[in-house]
Amino acid sequence: MTGAAIAGLGTTAMGKVYGRSSTSLAAEAVRGAVADAGLALTDLDGLLVSSGIKQDVGVGLAAVLGLQDLSVLNQVNAFGATAGVMVAQAAQAVAAGTASTVACVFADSPLKPKESAGSTYGAPQRSGRGRPVRGYAGWSVASGATNPNILYAMCARRHMERYGTTSEQLGEIAVAQRSWAARNPLAQMREPITLADHQESRWIADPLHLLDCCLVSNGAVAVVVTSADRAAGLARPAVHVWGYGQAHAPRRMQAGSDWGLVTPAARSGPQALRMAGVGVGDVDVAEIYDCYTYTVLVTLEDYGFCAKGEGGAFVADGRLAPGGTLACNTGGGQLSSYYMWGFTPLSEAVIQARADGGERQAPRNDVVVVSGNGGILEHHSTLVLSPHARSGR
Amino acid sequence: MTGFPQVERDDTSAAFYDAAAREELLMQRGPSGTVLPPEARTDPASGSADLEPVTVSGDGVLVSWAVVHRAPLPALADAVPYVSAVVELAEGPWVIVRLVGDICSLSAGDPVRARFVRSGAPEDPGEVLPVFEPVATGVTS
Repeated sequence: MTGAAIAGLGTTAMGKVYGRSSTSLAAEAVRGAVADAGLALTDLDGLLVSSGIKQDVGVGLAAVLGLQDLSVLNQVNAFGATAGVMVAQAAQAVAAGTASTVACVFADSPLKPKESAGSTYGAPQRSGRGRPVRGYAGWSVASGATNPNILYAMCARRHMERYGTTSEQLGEIAVAQRSWAARNPLAQMREPITLADHQESRWIADPLHLLDCCLVSNGAVAVVVTSADRAAGLARPAVHVWGYGQAHAPRRMQAGSDWGLVTPAARSGPQALRMAGVGVGDVDVAEIYDCYTYTVLVTLEDYGFCAKGEGGAFVADGRLAPGGTLACNTGGGQLSSYYMWGFTPLSEAVIQARADGGERQAPRNDVVVVSGNGGILEHHSTLVLSPHARSGR
Repeated sequence: MTGFPQVERDDTSAAFYDAAAREELLMQRGPSGTVLPPEARTDPASGSADLEPVTVSGDGVLVSWAVVHRAPLPALADAVPYVSAVVELAEGPWVIVRLVGDICSLSAGDPVRARFVRSGAPEDPGEVLPVFEPVATGVTS
């Protein structure tokens, strides 16, 4: 129990939102989150800023928003783990009294008209056609494994080889999330898909099909973190931060490595649950970072929803779909809804904790877990959220 | 052999590419004895930055792989579909490499061995690169 709560949520339009800078989107999301909480921008004394692959939103956002008297101002980057790290930092600032009301915002605008989504994440600085690639980077480019699709495919393959996990089991995750997305008006992809659609979708990097891979989106999301006491008197139901954790294991490429099989989620998840004073069996809603279907599977294992190696069986038979036994990625996640790094699962967690999910509201929401994963399964953050103050549960 | 973008050495990588031109695979070794990939800067076992070059056998096993159907970069567009792999060298380090040769039937743990290919186009060649191939069907070069 941290004594902090999320009091406001702001989101912009998502997806093919053209002609807006990341900074402009970020400013809109912060304004939205502050208004949602029933606060004014002048109530903020903290701002944490994060942006996507281009890192094109910085602390200058404070000036854009006219914030002239802040106690906390930082740019945060733990890749896909950033959202959880930011909320933890905001909660720590609130607990320490160094700030009372902190906005955390993520914005990204990698999509351009007439450019493929994939090209935005392909390390364009090393694209190299007609120009030699220099140094060790040349050997790396020649390996052909120059983007996350390929490295995550190798992680998924390793799990398949070790534990017998199948492409169909990964497909179950994609199908379940699309069926949640069909009920989410914010989602970019709402047309239902079948397991056959997943299997027939083109290969990106075998064993990953197109429908194993996340979207790319333009947009922004912000939350406002304040003390639980203050949040209780604001406009919207407080979403209490019961626990947080983070763990980092940058690529260990050495004999004996469990790379791709066990991720830092195995330390981050239990750490957050321990702080929250709950077990994995208490979790009602799991918003699990899903840059790929495989990320969901391995994170569920690492959090302890099932034993290592049993993730494939665990996600089968619609367990994660509406009506299944674990409400997971209830907005459709990054596979079907929108790709705002860790702010995708965080935003949906806030919606579920407030019981604002409408057609997709999970039947129970007392304990909501949010995961963030970054790098190639190298960075992880976890939040445990609840509509209840810890003592009042 | 096609589909390898033209690679050019820099000061840091010159010894590695010189070794590759001799069909030798050059890694590094830290004070703890840990063998590390050529671009490593620190021995994680000791925290030391004092690394020395070491020539390794070129033998290894397949850790994992992906069959890439969608080129991540324009420079690789002519190469798809190709296989990228993680290989565990006999001396310990993992390297991310291109896998060539008979790649129809692969399993984790398969023995693989380094071979060496010239990067770039024949009329505009670059450095020699280490790649790997399955041992069972491989043609030693």
